Amino acid sequence: MTAVTPDRVPATTSRRKKVKDGGIKPIGKPFWLLGPGVLWLLIFGLAPLAFMLMMSFWTSTIYGTRPDFSFDNYARVLVTELYRDQLFKTLRIAIMTTAITVVISYPVAYLLSRLQGMQKAFFVLLMFLPFWTSYVIRAFVWLPILGRNGAINNALQALGIIDQPIDWLLFNEGAVFLGLVYVYTLFMTLPIYLSLEKIDPALVEAATDLGARPAAVFRRVILPLSWPGVLSGCIMVFLLSISAFVTPQLLGGPSGIMYGNVIASQFLANNNWAFGSALSISLVTIVLVLLLISSRWIGVQHVFTGGRNS
Amino acid sequence: MTSIAAGKANIAKPHARKPERRHRPYGGYLSALWIYAGAFYTFLYGPLLMIVLLSFNDSEIVGFPFQGFTVRWYEVVFESPALLKALGNSLGVGFLAAAIATTLALSLAMGFRHQFRGKPIVLYLILVPIIIPGIIGGIVLLIFFGFSGIRSSLWTTVLVAHVNWVLPFAFLTLFPRLHGFDRALEEAAMDLGAKPWEIFTRIVFPIIRPGVIATALFSFSLSFDEFIRTIFVSGFDRTIPVQFWGLIVDELAPELPAMAVLIIVISIFSSLIGFYFMRRASKSAPT
Repeated sequence: MTAVTPDRVPATTSRRKKVKDGGIKPIGKPFWLLGPGVLWLLIFGLAPLAFMLMMSFWTSTIYGTRPDFSFDNYARVLVTELYRDQLFKTLRIAIMTTAITVVISYPVAYLLSRLQGMQKAFFVLLMFLPFWTSYVIRAFVWLPILGRNGAINNALQALGIIDQPIDWLLFNEGAVFLGLVYVYTLFMTLPIYLSLEKIDPALVEAATDLGARPAAVFRRVILPLSWPGVLSGCIMVFLLSISAFVTPQLLGGPSGIMYGNVIASQFLANNNWAFGSALSISLVTIVLVLLLISSRWIGVQHVFTGGRNS
Repeated sequence: MTSIAAGKANIAKPHARKPERRHRPYGGYLSALWIYAGAFYTFLYGPLLMIVLLSFNDSEIVGFPFQGFTVRWYEVVFESPALLKALGNSLGVGFLAAAIATTLALSLAMGFRHQFRGKPIVLYLILVPIIIPGIIGGIVLLIFFGFSGIRSSLWTTVLVAHVNWVLPFAFLTLFPRLHGFDRALEEAAMDLGAKPWEIFTRIVFPIIRPGVIATALFSFSLSFDEFIRTIFVSGFDRTIPVQFWGLIVDELAPELPAMAVLIIVISIFSSLIGFYFMRRASKSAPT
């Protein structure tokens, strides 16, 4: 905060209210400024969530969902093999996606952080453009690439490598990985790039002058200092992947569905809202636990601002 | 989606750090990095360019081979009442959600300039809609409004879902604008007897105006692209992404690529204008 030093302004005025950093009190009353937003978030953000938590203990039958207090839904979430397997599979896919995006994003983020002036502005902008469009579209684009009439099958047939279109390119776990990586890479590239940007070039120079080889400079200076960015990116990509719905639905087929699809089907197809709530709360719990653990290293608000100021 | 708005804010102010002596500890590896980056950008752009190509493909199936150039799929898109309705819905809810979220976020950010008790708690409350997985952000509203007896429609449930989704980003984009600027002007105005409201309208707001416009545009673009929360509460009022989804799931409709191109153009256009204002904002009010 830019504190106005008292000696710059004559301290003769009576209207000015002092606060302890020596500046003036910001205009407005906090109560009225925060009121509308806080009210909105309490009613439409927190209350629906609390309601879902409550409903996760209710019972759904074919006649509807009625109030109850039973742990049956949670027992079913944990005990039923189908849901447990689905959860582990989803965790596995999310972890793998996170790992893949770190590996493929880091070099590009590093290169971007090395560039200067207009060249840098151009390539950074070029990195963002595709992500300013809906992820539904970015998942959809893989259908005409991997499908029966897709680009790959067509190219392979034209080259005479295959006679019949191959079916296994789409609707499997591999296609889900590809889609998730494609849709979420930016959330890894951006924070890593921002943390690399913050590294003082003098540190790299100092290490080099002291005789460190490039590999050592990278391993002992650059990599540790870009850690907040990597962490922020990993949390983002993991959180997004673990709750993926669109990508597995479009590209995964029956074998590639994830937890998000299981949850959605309780509401869109089975009409089992109570059980669906329990599944949802389980997913939220995993997310919150992850954020709680990572808060040892990075504050929640910094995760969503790409690891700045952390 | 999630940190895109924050990202939009970030790239707007590239660090203007220039080392006196350009040091390249990785000089030798740099060309390898460029080749890799080339592959990476091809991975990013290849599929999108292919969709542009397919949108002109004179074929009933979404795919190859390329059967000849046509613009008829664009005609189909622009002549379909359902699509135009969805486009109108998306534009309308996008404008309104952006206006509400930006206003609420501006007010919250003004409040955050004060010291008050429970500040971290309010911050967490603001972040709730982006911490909660998107699919659950839609479902909670479905059951909440379902049990409140409010029917799903564009101007009720969809609007609420979109404001929820956009508000945290609007706050995270605006807050640094208000946090960073020199308060001497405000102090001077106060000394000269200006009322708080005058200080806001004549000093604070003009300074942060480019940031506010940028925030509104990013908010619009986030709302325009929102799908996962909307699908659960859209009822009979489809937005563009929901309409698009319906066309994929029902039958891979041949006009999908043309529609995708149209959506991409609108989103990128609004984001680019927002990006332009963000750059102006970071110039006029250096943090």
